[in-house]
Amino acid sequence: MQNNVNKPDNISTPYETARNCRHYAMCKIDFLGSGICDSGLEKHFVSFYPQGRMILYEALSENKISITEKCIEIADSCNLCGKCDYQCYFLNEMRPTKVMEALKDHVATYIKNGGKVKSAKEDRILTEIKKIVGENWATNDEAITITYSHDLSPISDPKIPDYVVMPNTKEEIASLVKLFNKNKITYTIRGNGQNLLGFAVNVGVIIDLNRIKTIEFDEKNWYVKIGPGVAAFDLQKQAQKRGYRINAGEPAALVCANIMCSGIMSTFSTTYGINADNFIDAEFIDKDGSLFILNDPSSPNLYSYKNLEHKNSPGICVSASIRLHPVIDDERGILVPFQTLTNAVDFIRDCAIRHIGLALGIVGAEYISTFLSPTKKSASEIKNIFVDKLDIPYLVVVIGDKYAIRTISEMGYPFFDQRLFNALYMGLPSLKSAQWMDLIKELSDDEPYSYLRLKSFADLLETALSPSPALYSQEVDPELRPFFEKLFYKPEMTDLVWLNMYRIMSTRLGRKKPFLPVLIYLPIDNALINELNNKFRLIAEKFNIDNDFGFITPIDNGKRCIFEYDYFFDHNDPEELRRIRLAATEANTLVDEYSVKTGTVKGHPYVLYQGFCRKENLLYS
Amino acid sequence: MSLQNKPTTALTGATGFLGSHLMASMLTTGYRIIALGRSNKEGTLKERIFKLMRWFGIEALDGQLELVEIDFLKPFLGLPESEYKELCAKTEQIIHCASDTSFSERKRENVFKSNVASLKGILDFAEDSKADFFHYISTAYVAGTGVTYCKEILSSAKSFTNVYEESKAAAENIISRFCQKSSIRLSIIRPSIVYGDSQTGRSLKFNALYFPIRSAQSIRDIYLNDLYNNGGIKAAKNGIYLDKDGYLFLPLKIYLPEEGYLNIIPVDYFVNATIKIIENCSQGGIYHLTNNLPTTMKIVAKYYEQLMKVRGVEIIYGLQPDNLLRNPAEELFDRFIEPYRPYLSDKRVFDRTNACLATDNLNPPEFTYEIFKKCIEYAISVNWGQSIL
Repeated sequence: MQNNVNKPDNISTPYETARNCRHYAMCKIDFLGSGICDSGLEKHFVSFYPQGRMILYEALSENKISITEKCIEIADSCNLCGKCDYQCYFLNEMRPTKVMEALKDHVATYIKNGGKVKSAKEDRILTEIKKIVGENWATNDEAITITYSHDLSPISDPKIPDYVVMPNTKEEIASLVKLFNKNKITYTIRGNGQNLLGFAVNVGVIIDLNRIKTIEFDEKNWYVKIGPGVAAFDLQKQAQKRGYRINAGEPAALVCANIMCSGIMSTFSTTYGINADNFIDAEFIDKDGSLFILNDPSSPNLYSYKNLEHKNSPGICVSASIRLHPVIDDERGILVPFQTLTNAVDFIRDCAIRHIGLALGIVGAEYISTFLSPTKKSASEIKNIFVDKLDIPYLVVVIGDKYAIRTISEMGYPFFDQRLFNALYMGLPSLKSAQWMDLIKELSDDEPYSYLRLKSFADLLETALSPSPALYSQEVDPELRPFFEKLFYKPEMTDLVWLNMYRIMSTRLGRKKPFLPVLIYLPIDNALINELNNKFRLIAEKFNIDNDFGFITPIDNGKRCIFEYDYFFDHNDPEELRRIRLAATEANTLVDEYSVKTGTVKGHPYVLYQGFCRKENLLYS
Repeated sequence: MSLQNKPTTALTGATGFLGSHLMASMLTTGYRIIALGRSNKEGTLKERIFKLMRWFGIEALDGQLELVEIDFLKPFLGLPESEYKELCAKTEQIIHCASDTSFSERKRENVFKSNVASLKGILDFAEDSKADFFHYISTAYVAGTGVTYCKEILSSAKSFTNVYEESKAAAENIISRFCQKSSIRLSIIRPSIVYGDSQTGRSLKFNALYFPIRSAQSIRDIYLNDLYNNGGIKAAKNGIYLDKDGYLFLPLKIYLPEEGYLNIIPVDYFVNATIKIIENCSQGGIYHLTNNLPTTMKIVAKYYEQLMKVRGVEIIYGLQPDNLLRNPAEELFDRFIEPYRPYLSDKRVFDRTNACLATDNLNPPEFTYEIFKKCIEYAISVNWGQSIL
């Protein structure tokens, strides 16, 4: 058992792989169509998913916990099917199966050597909790509780809760709240632990909402009522089956928790909106354990927004009625390249004001290269090609119907259409050795990217790159190549519309290192955007933190935008954690200063627990 | 010739194609050079010049080369006043070779800033220094469009092929007026299109003549890859195939507006002729360094086919018919050569009277297959400049 500190890139041993788990909970959704961990589906606790086992193995390796009954159950429940390797490799280039094997070996060896298995002692509180949720859905076994000690935040230290409980109904939640109030026990609600501010970890009780996965469509009224355990990916899938779309956040994020914490935002927020635009109604269990319905006139006004103030949670969101949007047959995606951020911003503002396109977003070379590339090494090479050879530091993703795409063409912007995107994506390995790339840049001297207007450019690109799933898969671990080759024959894997709807690639941004996004709302004002972009960069440089422009999406008819700047950090390096915390504090202070100075800039952290607000209150009050 | 007999020469553009060749040659013939320039993202002025010197095989400079980081747009060239005065005191002649050679209309502002607005700094310096001779490296194409016989006189053209030509013509006029007013002798040296060394094939830059060849080679390689590695399905669709003798048949119809010439000179001729003009021509003047035996694209295409083992290139003089169906290779090639098209079938003839007199009838060589082969093989060996320095 090791107890050393390793770099994030070093994943040669099970321990190193385990401690480099990004905790994104992507192993809880079937985003590749390859299936997910059987035991996780059955047991629901995160501990029974690969993510939980990674945390457990890390803790065991560091002698933080003992072998318990649940620990044995968790280890035994893994059938080493290897599904998690596909998922985790796709996103983070890691293969958790070796951790699962190591966990099983570790437990087996311990028992074989006569090690004592610790039994969690059931106390009065646990007995009371179990009376409410049933024997199987509450525990104080440390093999379970340790797996709830992390979230995505670099700001908070891990905290191990005393109990984890998984209710199945809102009535059970109400009873739990009353029980905890009566016994003065701290409780914390947890979705999939994607909070960036450290609010999903705590001592006391963690209420994991993942069992409540009800999905009820009311197509007549264009909404779907969901329980708090429904993940964005799963909901989108159900909506798509019925011919609809929802505005979805991160795929593994639970939708109710997502609204509560930040409000849902995506590139589709350009037309679908943010915050209260995304739902019709919601139900809550308040602090006293009573149910209230958001649209009831006597309920607390969660549509309001208070800037520069951290509010307390209004309660537990136990259901939300999410708006459904129509899907048009001729929707397609394009990528419009730009040499400067200023030009890209002008373009998205113009499109948003004119209501051109359904979804719009500016992404930088870091984003696009990371999303497209199957490995870190490849991403780094592709980023250089995009910036240096193709002179494409920025791309605007546009999803629109045929009329929107035609309009953009008429506006005079050359773009990569779906066919060119396919060629570029599946031909990525050839791109790196393509001699003709240097000519392409010179070709753009007079008019940037004019080669994209050539009628036969797609044909030439296909000839030059020989794109295919087989070629693309050459970049991945040889053992996984057959799987990846098959995977990339699935049309959705290269479909810009699908990729934007499901956002499965965004987690790849944390492949090199976990990242902390600095998110703000502000007017689409080039001077202001460039100023803040520069200042966020300078802060990161001051603290020696890897950083890059994230994305910009216009909202509310082009009056405002969402702007993300990303700071990257090694979550296993205490010194880097210290610096990212300082950088984050300084960045937030900067946003506060601009918020006061301009009256138009709004920092994202204040949306926590105010995610149900009207966007007008958030953006303009 | 000893250093004492040669005027100390301030040279701009020493990191560029023509400037670097000129500098290297002048250093080896005993000139003391003060290279005026700037650092850029590729390195400091010193780093860039030293890289170039290594490429030219020049190592020991014995105090012959001085480097001064300057900014044309700032007073005193951006130098402290004392340094500026010192520079002025030792400069005996100036060769202004620095230039933005972009043809792009989109870059008009930058091109005019580099080629015209920045003149004030260098001309003020000329006036302040003890230099009594100013040599300006221009282009033969300041003659503009619509002219058939181009004399060695100042251009009064109103229309040009591109912004580069226009800016160089404007610069010539400004410099000429200034030198006249300041009683500084002026020579204006106007090369046509310059390619690599006719003896060795070596070159530092691979645009102009090289660009169409490089474009055609890239297109060839794309289809060869398709034929060798992917069954040639795409190639077959476009009528591209490998002949039995290993030649690639790649139909490439190149339309040029009218029958004309490609006026190219090798850089060794440019350097030798320029040094002769600088040394022989005491009163100054305008000199066309052009080729009186210009080549044609038909000849270049033939050379290309021979060297690259390709068939199917066809030069067609006349306007391209509307709605002509172009294969992908032709469409891409058309786009690649678009900025250079006016120079590929040029009907202009250049007066060389002054140049012949000043250079003792030094003439550039005819563009033969041997020269073509040498130059293109060198270009390919250095990956068209990607792995040169």
